[in-house]
Amino acid sequence: MKPVAFDIVRARSLAEATRLLAESGGTARLVAGAQSLGPMLNLRLAQPRLLIDITGIPDLTRIEDTDDSVTIGACVSTANIEDGRLPGRGLDTLPAVAAHIAYRAVRNRGTIGGSLCHADPAADWVSTLCALGAECLITGVNGKRRLLADQFISGAYQTALAADEILEAIRVPRLSAGGRCGYYKVCRKAGEFAMAIGVVLNDLDRGVFRVVIGATKGRPIVITDARDLQRADESIDDDAILRVFDKHGIVDRIARRQKLAALARAYNQAMKP
Amino acid sequence: MATHGIGASVLRKEDDRFLRGRGQYVGDFRLTGTRDVAFVRSPVAHARLEHVHVPDEFKNVVFTAKHLTGIKPIISAPSVKGFKYSVEPILATDKLRYVGEMVAMCVAPTRAEAEDIAGAVTLEFEELPPVTDMLSACEPGSPLVHEEWGDNIFVEFSENGPIEEVAKTAAIKVTKTIRTARHCMFPMEGRGVIAYRDPRLRYLTLITSTQFPHSVQTGLCECLGLDHGLVRIISPDVGGGFGYKGLLCPEEVALGWLALQVDHPVRWLEDCREHLTANANCREHHYQITGYADADGKLLAIDCVAHVDAGAYSAYPISSGLEAAQIANLLPGPYVFSAYRCRSFAVATNKCPTLPYRGVARSGVCLAIEAIMDAIAREAGMEPTEVRLRNMVRPEQMPFENVVGKHFDSGDHPECMRRAIEAIRLSEIRARQQRPEPDGRLIGVGLSFFVEQGAHGTSVLASWGRPIVPGYEQANVKLTADGDVEIHVGTHSHGQGHETTYAQVAYEILGVNFDKIKVVQGDTLYTPYSTSTWGSRSMVYGGGAVANASRLLAKRAAHIGAWLLQTDVANVRVADGKVIAGNSSVTLREVARAWYLQPQNLPPNIDTGGLDVTAGYRAERDSGTFTYAAHAAVVAVDPATGTIEILDYVVVEDGGTLVNPMIVDGQICGGTAQGIGTCLYEIMPFDAQGQPLASTMIDYMLPGATEVPDIRVLHMQTPSPYTEFGIKGLGEGGAVGPPAAIVSAVNDALRPLNVEVQDLPVTPERILAAIDASPKRATVDHA
Amino acid sequence: MIPICLTVNGRVVSKTIEPRTHLADFLRERLNLTATHLRCEQGACGACTLLIDGQPARSCITYVALCEGADITTVEGLEDDPIMVALRRAFSKEHGLQCGYCTPGMLVTARDIVMRLSNADQARIRTELSGNLCRCTGYVGIVRAISHVVDERRRGELAGIVRQEGPLGPVGARPAGSNSGRVTNAPTAAPSARKETSLGEIALGLGGRQPNVEIKQSFVVSRSPADVWNFFSDIAHVVPCLPGASLIRPPAGEHVEGKMSVKLGPITANFVGHARIMRDDAQQRGVIMGAGNDQSGGSRAAGEAEYVLEPTASGGTRVMLTIRALLVGPLAQFGRSGIVEDIVARITEAFAYNLEARLTGAVSVDDQSVQAPLKVGTLFRQVMWARMKAMFATIFVGPKP
Repeated sequence: MKPVAFDIVRARSLAEATRLLAESGGTARLVAGAQSLGPMLNLRLAQPRLLIDITGIPDLTRIEDTDDSVTIGACVSTANIEDGRLPGRGLDTLPAVAAHIAYRAVRNRGTIGGSLCHADPAADWVSTLCALGAECLITGVNGKRRLLADQFISGAYQTALAADEILEAIRVPRLSAGGRCGYYKVCRKAGEFAMAIGVVLNDLDRGVFRVVIGATKGRPIVITDARDLQRADESIDDDAILRVFDKHGIVDRIARRQKLAALARAYNQAMKP
Repeated sequence: MATHGIGASVLRKEDDRFLRGRGQYVGDFRLTGTRDVAFVRSPVAHARLEHVHVPDEFKNVVFTAKHLTGIKPIISAPSVKGFKYSVEPILATDKLRYVGEMVAMCVAPTRAEAEDIAGAVTLEFEELPPVTDMLSACEPGSPLVHEEWGDNIFVEFSENGPIEEVAKTAAIKVTKTIRTARHCMFPMEGRGVIAYRDPRLRYLTLITSTQFPHSVQTGLCECLGLDHGLVRIISPDVGGGFGYKGLLCPEEVALGWLALQVDHPVRWLEDCREHLTANANCREHHYQITGYADADGKLLAIDCVAHVDAGAYSAYPISSGLEAAQIANLLPGPYVFSAYRCRSFAVATNKCPTLPYRGVARSGVCLAIEAIMDAIAREAGMEPTEVRLRNMVRPEQMPFENVVGKHFDSGDHPECMRRAIEAIRLSEIRARQQRPEPDGRLIGVGLSFFVEQGAHGTSVLASWGRPIVPGYEQANVKLTADGDVEIHVGTHSHGQGHETTYAQVAYEILGVNFDKIKVVQGDTLYTPYSTSTWGSRSMVYGGGAVANASRLLAKRAAHIGAWLLQTDVANVRVADGKVIAGNSSVTLREVARAWYLQPQNLPPNIDTGGLDVTAGYRAERDSGTFTYAAHAAVVAVDPATGTIEILDYVVVEDGGTLVNPMIVDGQICGGTAQGIGTCLYEIMPFDAQGQPLASTMIDYMLPGATEVPDIRVLHMQTPSPYTEFGIKGLGEGGAVGPPAAIVSAVNDALRPLNVEVQDLPVTPERILAAIDASPKRATVDHA
Repeated sequence: MIPICLTVNGRVVSKTIEPRTHLADFLRERLNLTATHLRCEQGACGACTLLIDGQPARSCITYVALCEGADITTVEGLEDDPIMVALRRAFSKEHGLQCGYCTPGMLVTARDIVMRLSNADQARIRTELSGNLCRCTGYVGIVRAISHVVDERRRGELAGIVRQEGPLGPVGARPAGSNSGRVTNAPTAAPSARKETSLGEIALGLGGRQPNVEIKQSFVVSRSPADVWNFFSDIAHVVPCLPGASLIRPPAGEHVEGKMSVKLGPITANFVGHARIMRDDAQQRGVIMGAGNDQSGGSRAAGEAEYVLEPTASGGTRVMLTIRALLVGPLAQFGRSGIVEDIVARITEAFAYNLEARLTGAVSVDDQSVQAPLKVGTLFRQVMWARMKAMFATIFVGPKP
């Protein structure tokens, strides 16, 4: 199980990387750690002609710290996020989620941007960043643009990146002092891909009460106002959630049970004082 | 017990090299000029192969069936009545019978390049309807895996006890339909072969990761038409086997042939995809089983029809019949009853061949019979453990012959069960079940009990008519010129620590410095012919042989020693590495020096056989040893997500005299982890076209450290009356008990919802499907 | 071949390598450092775990070319490491190894646990070990051994080595230097693997075989069924609407020959095949029977797609598709195909968009430049819906049986 032949180029700058990407005519893949791409290469499922390694671009491992957000370079490793190397308050969700992504040896090379661009529906970063209202900072040959994470993910393994664009960084808003984020995933074993993911961000001080149903067949389901899923007593309304499942074509009875449980547990975490 | 003798938890001699990364597995050998092989394998389950297109530029490095002249197919045909044998070509000829069957062999300087070439070879074939399910394979009109058979049944076994009378009058009748999952054995090291010609010693030499060096030698000789004297098999460090490496692989034959054609060594290292999709699977059974009991839970009769999905071919030398034969004669398990009827079928399908996996057939039969015991308990309104205790052999009945004539050698089964009940704190769990858990999960407890027949001898296996029948085991033991001990054995450790445990046996007899005892194995050039390591036999047979050879060596040494001590041989004994006569002694080193270097000091009537002896062993009664064990599990089932956590796990086992309790515990815990995999995680699913659906590690799930609890192992030690030191075979038992215990525990947990699960693996999806179908549809508790 | 320079067990190593060489193969085959073992080569089993810049990483999915300048340590390089010495002793004492194959990777992870988590209890140790599979021991001895060494370290008996925080990027990454940024040479691809091979005579459609992919989709376009039916009559117009599809030669009657490339994240399948298109004018129903081979991965697909047109209340057309296909080979051999639906939905969406654009005249029917609103990279399905499912089934995720 060895990959087909490819070339590797280590890009020195974003401009160089976008230029190489544009020149490749769709036969190149960016690598930002290769922890998702590597298995696919070894299995010969992915057969790119060229890998463009972007981990040597200093801009992509920067962390920028402001009062209301932190901007994480796309090539910051998941292990470093797990280890609490993001400065300031209101970001506790990130290390907590990071710690349960795959395994430490994978997290040491896997990156937050690489995972998001891989857009695996069952990936933790995909659901988490959608729930947190993260913004994706994108650089292309023709300039820069920003997209919310849930717009960035356009389907299973599909993002909104154009052929010459690179995800440069992810800006994650800080939770306010009273804000809480609940995260629950159903897995058969530690480190495995999730069967169901529920994320609930309860930060009404910032006017945010968002719900994400992850590990679907495609994009995560994002509900921007979770009050739609509440009963009068603020407990979660199963029937309302089941209607969301209906709307999004989640029909499998077992998937519905697991997703309902994941969401309800995330909700309960987020509602704890 | 001496510090390093029988019964001591001696640290392993093997560990140092492994802990420094200096193990020598097949992939670690470096022979100049070695080229790598990749195989083109069938992408379809059933087809007529019409043509293999090889691009012109690769004509010289791609080999297909038409090149393999003078090579015989693999035929593993036991002489059991009615057995239909399969003809397994080394590379496919006219027909493809499973996804992954080898079609062409591609050779290149690196594996990556060999895979490039394999990717350039295209196949032309006409697809045929595949046979993918063992039950429909038995229906009239099913497509045929081997047309010449007329049906798809390799062989049928039956036990025809009189059950009709009992069936009419029994107060309790319970029936279960159970399917176990086809899965993979997944030793951490895959198979692998290096083949080369050795002109000096005139051998075709294979370095191969096998449990069976001599059987591979015999099989290879048969396929290649060579004499044993021209084939050498080296099996170096083997990274786990569990049955997966207990056969002659077509790859071994293919590379052996290739090495005879080319002037460089060739190497094939199985990759994970090949392991999962192309090479052997195991354990796929179906049971339709009915138990009859009286109102007090006394088992009266068992009636069963069982099927084994054996895949496309019969593996050499074990054969595809073994598993079905084992089902028919092991299903009664430890229980006492008199009416038994069972028909078991080994069925051919268009899936890769199955091989016996650790605890051949037994995890399945244990699950089936224990499901019946649980069902009887429910009907009788009894605690399941009570039903089991009621039906066990009492210690005063030992030795005991059960309904199919299995001769249980010794032990106290009820005591073992009682210890497990106590250790798992059954009454506390029952009390805990009276109140809801704070997290909403459901708690359940389950126990299983089984006997583990090990160390099967000639009398058990000759009747099966296998191509290679186990007989006596031999060991060569010698004193070196330094007085150190070197032991050569034909069995082959693949993780069991024989380098340590055989040394313990020799130490027990000779008492030499333990560090100076060396065990050599895994090379047909240096070891006695052996059916090698399988079926929990090595410590009984190999250990017995080492003991006998050590005694013979001691006798020879005593003769020399007595001469050196100027006393009669009747006055000396060998102990502590010395020949001792009263207060005087000579060391075995001095004895060895005399023999090897100073023959003028030897007695005139010296046995010129010297200090290098080979002796053999067969158990006094070779119908097998009967280790037995109770497994007990406490589980928590999350009714909202279907996930299962094992909260506690206890094994109480009686494996007779334990040579090295530390190693025994390791065998039990490792086997138990595999049984947990069998029960909860592992399955190789196929679609209706026979495509295997778990080709990656994301699809195929193995238990990790978070899925296996801190297993508690307790021992009883009833020596076998029939074997050297009273040793019993116990390498497999760990894997036998878990499915039955855990399924029992899960169903105990689900009892409030009045649903059960029965098929393996017990996945969250299956739990939720059962709950979903529950008449008392559970309200989903988010906890 | 490209040059690489890195440090292995304290020694600087310069070699020329094939870029596709992963770190474990480089160490084993080029440097004869065989302590690092290979099993899954998918990053899952942990046998190949070693230290990159002092931190554990998978060497099977880390290509050596990505490690320019990195500091690699294998078990061979940890002979005298005090924590490793303690771990070796504890593993032996607790019987934390049997066949020894997982042991080097296990030790590397164990060392990381000891250095990083001074308060790890058994539960935490198990979680941290979850990426290292052992098939022999049941983990009992391994967990106990690590637990002992964690305790020793906490008691201060293993002072000395302190874990250091590295840069924020992946371990092994270094700023790209002056010799970076160059594409050295186009790789020599698998010699014939990318060549389009002839299929010979192959049976189209399922031919009574049972499909392993079945999907239903529908979409609506604004023009009438008659217009749509008419548009569908010319396959050369329809094909460009399908992301990834193109004709190899002009259609000959009912028979078409084409290719279709389907992309799923990093995975691309390039199917080449034949199809027969049958139309029932009276019922405005069409059936496409096709078969093809994936030129890059060796998978095969055969299938039947049926479409039926229905008028909508607003005067438009609902196109209803049923796809039944049989996929065999590597792309079929995954347990979870749930994502298929998402991809087919997206492709159908793109098809509908392109169809609408052409029907309404917004785009010339011959214009092949217009792309779907979603970026499917290369476009999709043409002759055979069947092939696409190949892609779908490929996916790496979703619930298992």
